[in-house]
Amino acid sequence: MKLNIEGLLVYFPYDYIYPEQYSYMLELKRTLDARGHGVLEMPSGTGKTISLLSLIVAYQKASPLEVTKLIYCSRTVPEIEKVVEELRKLMEYYSKQTGESNNFMALALSSRKNLCIHPEVSALRFGKEVDGKCHTLTASYIRAQRHSDPDVPVCRFYEDFDAVGRQVPLPAGIYNLDDLKDFGRRKGWCPYYLARYSLLHANIVVYSYHYLLDPKIADLVSKELAKKSVVVFDEAHNIDNVCIDSMSVNITRRTLDRCQGNVDTLHNAIQKIKETDAEKLKMEYRRLVEGLKEANVARETDVYLANPVLPDEILKEAVPGTIRTAEHFVGFLKRFLEYLKSRLRVHHVVQESTPQFLKDIFDKVCIDRKPLRFCSERLQSLLRTLEIADIADFSAVTLISNFATLVSTYSQGFTIIIEPFEDRTPTIANPVLHFSCMDPSIAIKPVFQRFQSVIITSGTLSPLDIYPRILDFRPVTMASFTMTLARTCLCPLIVGRGNDQVALSSKFETREDFAVIRNYGNLLLEMSAIVPDGIVAFFTSYVYMENIVASWYEQGILENIQRNKLIFIETPDAAETSMALEKYQEACENGRGAILLSVARGKVSEGIDFVHHFGRAVIMFGVPYVYTQSRILKARLEYLRDQFQIRENDFLTFDAMRHAAQCVGRVIRGKTDYGIMIFADKRYARADKRGKLPRWIQEHINDGSLNLTVDETVQLSKHFLRQMAQPFRQEDQLGLSLLTLEQLESEEMLKKISQIAHQT
Amino acid sequence: MASLSEEVLLVVKKVRQRKQDGTLYLMAERIAWGPEGKDRFSVSHLYADIRCQKISPDGKAKIQLQLVLHTGDSTTFHFSNDSTALKDREAAKELLQQLLPKFKKKANKELEEKNRMLQEDPVLFQLYKDLVVSQVISADEFWANRLGDTNHADPSLSNNKQEVGISGAFLADIRPQTDGCNGLRYNLTADIIESIFRTYPTVKQKYCENVPHNLTEKEFWTRFFQSHYFHRDRINTGTQDIFSECAKQDEKGLKSMVVQGVKNPLVDLLSLEDKTLDEGYGVCTTASTSNPNRTVKDSSNSAIIKRFNHHSAMVLAAGSIELAQSSETSSTDGNSRDSDFFQPPVKKVRLQETMEYEDLQGENRPKTVALNLKKSDRYAHGPVPLQSQHYTTSQEIINSVNNIRDEMLNYKPNLSQVLSNTTASSAIAALSSGGVLMKAATQQAINQMVPSEVQGELKHLYAAAGELLRHFWTCFPVNTPFLEEKVLKMKSNLERFQMTKLCPFQEKIQRQYLSTNLTGHLEEMLQAAYSKFHVWQTRRMLRKT
Repeated sequence: MKLNIEGLLVYFPYDYIYPEQYSYMLELKRTLDARGHGVLEMPSGTGKTISLLSLIVAYQKASPLEVTKLIYCSRTVPEIEKVVEELRKLMEYYSKQTGESNNFMALALSSRKNLCIHPEVSALRFGKEVDGKCHTLTASYIRAQRHSDPDVPVCRFYEDFDAVGRQVPLPAGIYNLDDLKDFGRRKGWCPYYLARYSLLHANIVVYSYHYLLDPKIADLVSKELAKKSVVVFDEAHNIDNVCIDSMSVNITRRTLDRCQGNVDTLHNAIQKIKETDAEKLKMEYRRLVEGLKEANVARETDVYLANPVLPDEILKEAVPGTIRTAEHFVGFLKRFLEYLKSRLRVHHVVQESTPQFLKDIFDKVCIDRKPLRFCSERLQSLLRTLEIADIADFSAVTLISNFATLVSTYSQGFTIIIEPFEDRTPTIANPVLHFSCMDPSIAIKPVFQRFQSVIITSGTLSPLDIYPRILDFRPVTMASFTMTLARTCLCPLIVGRGNDQVALSSKFETREDFAVIRNYGNLLLEMSAIVPDGIVAFFTSYVYMENIVASWYEQGILENIQRNKLIFIETPDAAETSMALEKYQEACENGRGAILLSVARGKVSEGIDFVHHFGRAVIMFGVPYVYTQSRILKARLEYLRDQFQIRENDFLTFDAMRHAAQCVGRVIRGKTDYGIMIFADKRYARADKRGKLPRWIQEHINDGSLNLTVDETVQLSKHFLRQMAQPFRQEDQLGLSLLTLEQLESEEMLKKISQIAHQT
Repeated sequence: MASLSEEVLLVVKKVRQRKQDGTLYLMAERIAWGPEGKDRFSVSHLYADIRCQKISPDGKAKIQLQLVLHTGDSTTFHFSNDSTALKDREAAKELLQQLLPKFKKKANKELEEKNRMLQEDPVLFQLYKDLVVSQVISADEFWANRLGDTNHADPSLSNNKQEVGISGAFLADIRPQTDGCNGLRYNLTADIIESIFRTYPTVKQKYCENVPHNLTEKEFWTRFFQSHYFHRDRINTGTQDIFSECAKQDEKGLKSMVVQGVKNPLVDLLSLEDKTLDEGYGVCTTASTSNPNRTVKDSSNSAIIKRFNHHSAMVLAAGSIELAQSSETSSTDGNSRDSDFFQPPVKKVRLQETMEYEDLQGENRPKTVALNLKKSDRYAHGPVPLQSQHYTTSQEIINSVNNIRDEMLNYKPNLSQVLSNTTASSAIAALSSGGVLMKAATQQAINQMVPSEVQGELKHLYAAAGELLRHFWTCFPVNTPFLEEKVLKMKSNLERFQMTKLCPFQEKIQRQYLSTNLTGHLEEMLQAAYSKFHVWQTRRMLRKT
């Protein structure tokens, strides 16, 4: 259908539309009009992606000069592919309606592992191996060597791409990962480099967060993207953690040992090259004297995305003299390494700020702040000069030099914690140096600064106002949309007591309490008897789940559950869990029914949907607070309190509730779907917890479902399931939660729709 | 002694049977015993007939070997050669142990099949009781027809029976009971054993390897329940446990399953992440999993978790083996050509599935027509055939009315032929309600008149008679000597049936004053068969003479 969104003609590839989709597009358009950033929360399964795409594509078509590019970031590979498929659908609809072929070019980009078509390289199993092997075949000096020695193996796909691939741009069309591979095979070009090259002139780019947020990758891939782009972060409820992860470094004794090896190799390589090809080193030296001027020019003309690892000041200066010659630099690295080793020889926990650390390093080994900052840059140069083939081998020394640059660049927002042992095993020495980022805004700042509109959206972003605070940006729109429903297809229940009136909670004091564990077991057992097909249960942590499973096993609860359904359990091993998941789905599919025991914050809770019969009920055992004893977390909480005035408890609750919402939200993936959401902890009944759930869940929790016993829960669930099992037709939805074009255009409906968006 | 040509595997002299000295022969297909000095066997059993052998406990004065047959009979041999009695017995036992299972399988299969059929089909079971147990026809005759039927007539029908899956909790159903004196008793049924074998093929393998050569069945299961394998939460204590190997193989199986990976890319957690952080980057919140010294409790906990995953996977697999095998053949055919062209890859299909909003797109799904019933009772009862003779045209009605009127005009009572008073009144009495002739008109259904037990008996009689008659009629046309023989036999069978079954029943219902024509139809059927037989026989006689 063709929609009119405040004067913008939007093609929407379906015959019907949900009211909230219309509302969502309205808000989105206003955000784009204002050239600002937005935070939008809309329940999963209400067609968020297609609404986003429809509107932004329409916007691009209407004003191609205002918005030149859409950068759509998602989290997982299947999600990326899904977005591209939805886009394909939209484009097909466009060409059918307008009758002209599209000149739009959209592509997905992923790591080499998912795009490589080289027969040997793509057979490798791990991403790191693929990257490393690819590098050994495509590095510039390898290819240079080939000119003199034709036996040096290179990748023919890359060679062909390099020879002709850049001359003609990729023809217009929608390229998913598989399409890119097909195209690459047909032409004999490397799909990965083709995609990276085509990024620059694509209208729509779909890739993962890391390509924009991780400075190490963003610098390679995304730095030349146009300023007039719209950036969308989908499933963004965890974006702060992605930011933090990309800027944090952990150094163990093993890292240092490997680093030592790397430095020795470097040393030998320098000696060798000095004997054979001293000219090369001299050239490098000259280049370093020239400084990083080029990069500076580019930054000033604003062609590049700022790299937070490489701050502006560095660019204005040349590499300091002390580390300009290769030997001096290796000597410098050795000293730094020795210093780190000595720091790891502690017997008690040390926590210090970056300035303290810098002062200490200056006092002990006379390393200045300035050369440290150039460490990462200098190492890259050296590796290039020495023609090191396998970069993967040098990951340790790269890590150390990145750490050096980061620690000397940021005086704020980071902390250094050195732990001599793990908390749980105090007798075993396993020293770790955590260099931990506490401020997610550091990594995402360049994105907000560079691009005109950044949209942060997800099914669960409540409370909305916390994201602008922790990411330090000022949005023009913040809205939360509810799910309009013709029938209440979700049934959130808060179970606070067992049948014996024992309060249910996963809080630390009652964690080991047998009465609680038994009651949790009873809850699962009773639910397994009444819920058809699949049940998913989430625990607060893996250790907690292990303990509970063990004691359920001893008490014979699991055996009784097995009478009703098969049991599958998430393990720390991803491959094993994948298998369990597949079997779980198989068991749901063939009617036997199954239970999946899983962990909040785990891979399953983040990336797997349980549509329809794969999840008819989800049980959240306990409140998934993060492990609060961790020193890193404590430091972060302190930082949040001091810098952003966010109270520790507020943040912890917010974090716990967003994960709980993520977990329970896994079962509802659309309006025809239905599911029971059980929050099994009495603390959920409190207003401060409940209030942090997304609005579309919160509004279905009534006072009658606040502090239920197990029996009451079973009764309510039975009733709910019986209702849901009645046939549900399109006509039932029409006019309420599903609209035709005429219905949409009626005055009355427009008034109703304006209430859907909940502005904050 | 015709059987001398058989291969004799073992000869044991000085074996007593029924206090008679003699010699025991173990041959290729049977075991036989002949008294001393005589030239024939007084005991001879086919191996297939033997259910099991039993031996006297060591240390008993008499060294004996007992053979128990499927029929329940048993034969005991006493090894009486003083010096080598034990050795002889052992030799015989060993040999039997090797021979019996071979024949057992064959015999068992047939027996099982028969057993299964009888259990599944109560009618057949009744028939079996009526005909075979009461010795109207022999069991062989009974089965000759049956088994043949199922074997070639439609194997699909008999095989189509859905494979029963395994209860997820079958291990939980084996509740140990304390036997009062510091021990545990486990009750194992054939079903549970079957479940264990299907779920854990390694246990089955162990069973085949060890029972009965090394362990008795009981010992085997005792060890199973004591094993670390069964109680997975216990720590592996030693390697002498025969099940420790099973655990290892299970682990291997699990690993291979894991290595195989998953078909559905949407649940593949390994390829979910696009770009994992390099080692050393990121906030490390979780303790390293490779921590070598996890406590004993931790590792036993994770063993339980592994076990549950494995168990569920195996139960699931055991249930779907049949399905998978049948579907695999067809699917590989389809794929082998070129899956890329003919079928969209799994991944694409899955993606399409997840992004479909069935309620948003209206028209393009296949339209189904809702059933719109005007008269639902007609739908429920189905069409009723029109009975044409009930319909008469108005012309016909008018004509007939006219006819009647004409006749009435010409009606003259013929008074000389009317009934006498008494007969008339008795006729009226008989025709009024409660009278003799009105009984049928009360339309009492047979099921109200006859007690249910008699009804049941009648049903069985019908079934049995039907079976016999079927046998009888299948002999026609009689064109082979075999059929000729059979038809004669069937005739006598029928007669015997009438004598032993039908007549007592008739007498019985007479004694209960029930109307005797209950069996009228049965008799008619039998008579039809007899007359057919007579026709056939006279014709045969004619031909012969």
